[in-house]
Amino acid sequence: MAAMSPSERRLQKELMSLMKEPPPGVTVDGDQASQNLTLWTVHMEGVPGTLYEGEKFVLQFKFTNKYPFDSPEVTFIGNNIPIHPHVYSNGHICLSILTDDWSPALSVQSVCLSIVSMLSSCKEKKRPPDNSFYVKTCNKNPKKTKWWYHDDSV
Amino acid sequence: MKVTVKSWTGVATWRWVANDDNCGICRMPFDSCCPDCKLPGDDCPLVWGACSHCFHIHCIVKWLHSQPQQQCPMCRQDWKFNNK
Repeated sequence: MAAMSPSERRLQKELMSLMKEPPPGVTVDGDQASQNLTLWTVHMEGVPGTLYEGEKFVLQFKFTNKYPFDSPEVTFIGNNIPIHPHVYSNGHICLSILTDDWSPALSVQSVCLSIVSMLSSCKEKKRPPDNSFYVKTCNKNPKKTKWWYHDDSV
Repeated sequence: MKVTVKSWTGVATWRWVANDDNCGICRMPFDSCCPDCKLPGDDCPLVWGACSHCFHIHCIVKWLHSQPQQQCPMCRQDWKFNNK
């Protein structure tokens, strides 16, 4: 195997630990990720007792070779995008740790936990108020969006 | 019985004394080096912040250089090197 770059070495470690001890309801597609460490697919189940109980979601993580100094690009993909005030219908997520508040001490696991907790604390299933405008005008990469983080309640 | 030592070979081990086993940035053990270095030791030292969090010096410097605000990756307090 060719020598791994620093970002690949960290991703490889994270992949091993996420496959060994995943948070409840979270599974990573290990075969896909180990073939291409820069693109991960993570399956997530709605937590029992929350508005998303019984639902299944798919998250995509894209990493650059600057990871973990550069945050991953994280979006919901597939045909079930959660209806949530911080999740746009194109799968983009308004979550500050994915851009402004990213830290290299965070990880795929901690991002997954934040997203699980963001979904679980939701009181009413609805799309963000500016959904249709945003989805029409945004860049494909959510990291190019200048997010306004104004709602800390969910 | 009288013993005369004719020769001896000293063997020593070393390790960093840190409050954690792994660097929170690269996730490599502190007793190993950061992913940009080849050999652990004085060429890839650890450094502490005033907040008491510890990283490979190369890792924390790389992070601080990429940021407009100088904050600890672990606790988000303003980063100051602790020159203890």
